Amino acid sequence: MTKTDNAAIHAPISRRGFAVGAVAAAGLAALPVRAQEKFPDKTIEVVTHAGVGGGTDITARMMMVHAPGAFKTEFAVVNKVGGSGAAALGYATGKPRDGYTIMLITQTHLLTIMQGKAQVKYDEIVGLARATDDPQILMVGKSSPLKSASELIAAGKAKPLKVGATQLGGVDHLAVFGFAKKAGIQQPTVVPFRGGGDIVINTVSGNVDVGILNYAEAESQVKAGDVRPLLTLAAKRLGPLPDVPSAKDLGLDASYSTVRGFVALKGVPEDRLKILEDGLLKAMGGQMYASYIQTSGQSPESVAGRKGWQAQLDAFYTEGQDALKALGLLK
Amino acid sequence: MDAVLAGLAAISDPYMLFLVLAGTVLGIIVGALPGISGSTTTALLLPLTVMMSPTQAIAFLGAIYCAANYGGSITAILINTPGDPSASATAFDGYPMAVRGEAGRALGMSAVASAIGGIFSVFVLIVAAPLLARLAYQFGPPEYFALAVFGLSMVAAIGGDSAVKNLLAAAFGVLLATVGLDLTTGVERFTFGVYALSDGIEFIPVLIGLFAIAELLEQAAQHGIVQKVIALETVKLPTLADFRKCAKAITISSVIGTFIGVLPALGATTAALFCYNETKRWSKYKHEFGKGAIEGVAGPEAANNAAVGGAMVPTLALGIPGSTTTAIILAGMIVQGVRPGPHLFTEQPTLLYVVFWSMLAANLLYLVLGLGAAKLFARIALIPNAYLWPAVFVLSVVGAYAPNQSMIDVWTMLIFGVVGFALRRYGFSPAPLIMGLVLGKLVEETMKQSLLIFDQSWLMFLSRPVVVVLFAVTLAGLFAPVIAKAWRRVRA
Repeated sequence: MTKTDNAAIHAPISRRGFAVGAVAAAGLAALPVRAQEKFPDKTIEVVTHAGVGGGTDITARMMMVHAPGAFKTEFAVVNKVGGSGAAALGYATGKPRDGYTIMLITQTHLLTIMQGKAQVKYDEIVGLARATDDPQILMVGKSSPLKSASELIAAGKAKPLKVGATQLGGVDHLAVFGFAKKAGIQQPTVVPFRGGGDIVINTVSGNVDVGILNYAEAESQVKAGDVRPLLTLAAKRLGPLPDVPSAKDLGLDASYSTVRGFVALKGVPEDRLKILEDGLLKAMGGQMYASYIQTSGQSPESVAGRKGWQAQLDAFYTEGQDALKALGLLK
Repeated sequence: MDAVLAGLAAISDPYMLFLVLAGTVLGIIVGALPGISGSTTTALLLPLTVMMSPTQAIAFLGAIYCAANYGGSITAILINTPGDPSASATAFDGYPMAVRGEAGRALGMSAVASAIGGIFSVFVLIVAAPLLARLAYQFGPPEYFALAVFGLSMVAAIGGDSAVKNLLAAAFGVLLATVGLDLTTGVERFTFGVYALSDGIEFIPVLIGLFAIAELLEQAAQHGIVQKVIALETVKLPTLADFRKCAKAITISSVIGTFIGVLPALGATTAALFCYNETKRWSKYKHEFGKGAIEGVAGPEAANNAAVGGAMVPTLALGIPGSTTTAIILAGMIVQGVRPGPHLFTEQPTLLYVVFWSMLAANLLYLVLGLGAAKLFARIALIPNAYLWPAVFVLSVVGAYAPNQSMIDVWTMLIFGVVGFALRRYGFSPAPLIMGLVLGKLVEETMKQSLLIFDQSWLMFLSRPVVVVLFAVTLAGLFAPVIAKAWRRVRA
């Protein structure tokens, strides 16, 4: 039922997407990018799917504090809200692939592409630099009987846990699904909430057994002892939580994090990609950006270059596709 | 006590006072412009505050937040266009007052009621923040569900004349709220493949359409008819008798508005709509509502400004924002290296009092500016229609486009303008429709979340004390007329 509904709704989009793509391609052929031009010599647009003031929007603006110095040109944020990134991807598709349009994306964009809701294909996404890397952490409320990661896993084997997460079929849900599979626990019941704040509240009050959260989302509750972090879903322990075991400590290869990073669309000349990568890394190496990463409780190794970022995107895309299929959310 | 005085000393600094004044003036202006809300402004100015000290940044952002909620009422009253979504309930009675030539009276009342609600909530913030913050933990999905059901149970009574028409309009609102990606199933509903609809129907364009464009069409329909010249020779401010009449409305709305503001999911818009209903319910002059009742301006205005202080409570005490604007203020504080949360009260008491004093100052400042300039603002009502309405149209288009930079939002606004015009022609009121749109999503999502938490058992709702109380109040409200009638029959 659900599957056929999806198919019926999305068929027209892919047709239109194809048409727009074709038009854009024709436009590109007519206006070849001259590689010898000085790059960049005009304003670079950063397209985000977040509204002004949203988390991703703030990340973009923090990078931009030092960007004019690093690039010797101006930057502007373009907020294209809607369709879980589809509006932002659509906007960027309509722009010439000359490097003056870059996107700040999250995994949500990749999920949108997977479901065929965007006008681009995954192989057109070219990673430039990672901006934030925020590991997912499993946390329980103060009054929860679960005291350690091993108790959590034992409880999860006995009966399905209730886990507070965001959007069904979203990044959190895939992390819960993947962790459950790797830890060999019963698939939990995911209770979806609108945002991290709601998950924290319902974890503290015990409405859900476990909350899947980023450190910053629950920092004050962790410090006040209202919430107990049990397991960091990463290969390494998180700096501010040295006593919380990582998945690798338990022998699990379960790394799930919320990432944001800059990408361009395929077609931008290689020399410009390199200039963009170097400039972005330089801008994010600035003091303002470093203190933003630190105060928002993100991993200090958040910023990464093209190679690592592209590998992470590829891994998420492959695993996410399998998970969505297993959950019946993707044909 | 030291912290209180240290906070006062911090904001007595001339530069701080200047920032609070600048924030207040800016807040009033952006609040009055449709589509540019306090949250957009705080977000755009966030990079600027990075250059300030933490106390300066927070005082500045807090002042914008307070004043923007008041500013929204100015355009709601004068041109039936809520400058900020939270002022939508103010238009119900504020605009009819302006049409009657009482724009100054409505504007004056709005300034006073806003300031009282705002100041009340700031005191609640400082006195009860650590205690009140615990309420947020008491409210899970089942409690929100019961609260939203309570809200919806009142739609039959608000606006318009006919209960049946109100229910129809509210049902239409609830239906509209189902558009978009469903949180609990991940399935898109009623989007017809238009990705701009997958996040649901945007609230701001709907409001601008229902109020501003519908009114514009209404005015256009009267073209050729001898125009009513608005009697506005002398702009009158509210009298002492007006304030006495509104005292109850302001008191009730300040308390309820603060409470709703504290709840993380509900903000100033919901507070104002709730309190419009409550003001009408407790008023001796129910028949005046919708036709220019001054209490109908006082109630929602006190409520939406009370929600401001309320929303700061979970933001500061838990680090969980109570509204969109507080989410941005929270981000601003974090950038400054200040992480709000339970420990903030002990670690940085001065900062808390800086927030308190600067918000108090902002509330007093816009009261003075609002009363002083009410006569000036009211003159907008004297601008000839030939100039005023084209300007309103331009503002509406810009206002609908600006928040998401989306043409779909502009079309939504225009479509809802026609819908609003048609609704009014056939005796429907936009108030229940908005109520349905706001609460519909909350009812559905919280019900589904609750059932997941309760393992699909409906009876479990009755195991939650807060839910039982709210359900009882809802039932009492629904059956009060029947019971009263039966009681009278028994007595007779």
